[in-house]
Amino acid sequence: MTSLRRVALVGGGATRFGVRAATWAELVQEAGAALYRALPELAEVEVDSLFVGAAEPERFAFQSHVAPLAAEQLGIRPRRILQRTELACASGQSAIRSAYAAIASGLSDIAVAVGVEKMNLPSMAEANTAMACVMDRAWDGVHGATAPPFFAMVAQRHMLEHGTTEEQLAAVSEKNHRFANTNPTAQFYEKRFDREKLLRLPLVAPPLRLGDCSSMTDGAAAVVLVAEEHARRFTRTPVWVRGTGQYSDFHNLAHAGSLTEWRGLTIAAQEAFRGAHIGPKDLDLAELHDCFTISEIVEYEALGLCAPGEGGRYAAEGRSDLGGEVVVNPRGGLLGCGHPLGATGIAQALEVYQQFAGLVPSARQVPSPTWALVHNLSGSANVHSVMLYGGAA
Amino acid sequence: MADDASPPTRRPAASVEVARPPKPEEPKRKPGATPFLLDFYPLEDERSTRVSRFFDSLREGRFTTTRCPKDGLLWPPRAVCPECHTEALEWTELPGRGHLYAFSAVLAGAPLGMEADLPFVVGLVDLEGTTLRLFGRIVGRPWNECRIGAPVRVEPYTIDDGRVFFRFRVDGP
Ligand SMILES: [Zn+2]
Repeated sequence: MTSLRRVALVGGGATRFGVRAATWAELVQEAGAALYRALPELAEVEVDSLFVGAAEPERFAFQSHVAPLAAEQLGIRPRRILQRTELACASGQSAIRSAYAAIASGLSDIAVAVGVEKMNLPSMAEANTAMACVMDRAWDGVHGATAPPFFAMVAQRHMLEHGTTEEQLAAVSEKNHRFANTNPTAQFYEKRFDREKLLRLPLVAPPLRLGDCSSMTDGAAAVVLVAEEHARRFTRTPVWVRGTGQYSDFHNLAHAGSLTEWRGLTIAAQEAFRGAHIGPKDLDLAELHDCFTISEIVEYEALGLCAPGEGGRYAAEGRSDLGGEVVVNPRGGLLGCGHPLGATGIAQALEVYQQFAGLVPSARQVPSPTWALVHNLSGSANVHSVMLYGGAA
Repeated sequence: MADDASPPTRRPAASVEVARPPKPEEPKRKPGATPFLLDFYPLEDERSTRVSRFFDSLREGRFTTTRCPKDGLLWPPRAVCPECHTEALEWTELPGRGHLYAFSAVLAGAPLGMEADLPFVVGLVDLEGTTLRLFGRIVGRPWNECRIGAPVRVEPYTIDDGRVFFRFRVDGP
């Protein structure tokens, strides 16, 4: 790894997330507007590569070959690498990892990673059909395996094995929705949820209630990654990619093994931490994939922020909140921001950049962060993707 | 790609024996049926898959899968073993009974073709006497009357166009 070049994240922009009166292509245009507003220097350089994180445009927007379509929306004509990355819920992070790999290897100098999903359709049954195709469609999806019932089973087993409670799930949801109230791009920016209200919301897939589940969301986000020698052209506060890891060992649900021990995340995080010689307790903030409240709880444990089985208590005691040990999901998480599959990983990286640059409202600013981790799971938590970012150095 | 110098390998047309594979028939679709690309059920006939025997057996009430002589039971049924990559797999009968390891229900937000089923139960089933834990639809009991450990049995069923699939029926408390 010593021959790899250093890669900096230098900023980006995002659309408003939510139920948007805009097409897939228009969302990309909006992300482009936000990107060039935040980084006017970008118009003066050549963006040599573009990576497009998009999970299911074939289903949600009836569109294939989306990388050149996105390039055209952004006005970018890549001379080095143009490609789409698809990894369901982790498609956005895949775009960033690919951009990182391209720059680190010397193939690219200045790359944009854009992520987008248009999920709200006039027929939500068609949107749900797209979501069930993320699973092994012919053998699991066919039974009705969308994300909510799968993660509900994770919650059921975690409650059985570790005594995790609905109130502890609600603690995660309350925290992330409260952070989303500081984020004007979040789907639930204007909606307030306290724990009592969350516990009265209708069940979606028992034991999970509406407030335990991230939403079907339209949105797009874009970030810029550059080789070290270009970083200062864009920002005084570049954020450095300090590690990355990924692990997958199954797809069909028959091979999930324990629902409550996400070994793949432990392995991916160890790989990400390895080069930086740090561990989970060194993190200042973490953008974790809270597609469901139970996900964030299992992730605390798999990352080693707390002991196995202690995740519910970790949330309820405020240890993942501002003023706690590691601030988890200050952006508002997938629960508060919504989860446009391809855009999520990009928006999480953007939050890391803005946290390091001191650009977020004080109500969610992590004091002087040095280390940040971004995690996405995809599908039935059968893939875990991790990026480690570090500040000045 | 043909090398002009090489002798022709095609025999004269008159001597060609007609041994074409049977013309693929479109599986029967009723007017207004779900388009293939929005249909969850696998195409199960032998023109479409190498594991059509799974569906033939299921139609006869037998729940089967492929087994690698070296690596054991494989699920779902496969053409090639993922461990040793042999194609010499055997068919084997699975126990049609198991117990619920975990379950939930879809109370809202069903995919196309499943809206009429709402609310429905899904779960993971430990198949008796095997190491297999299969995901499936659970019928015969509302979600709030299901419990972890409840006995279930495999139940084949046919869909409108004659294809066959399986689900689990709760078979006791
Ligand atoms: Zn084998």
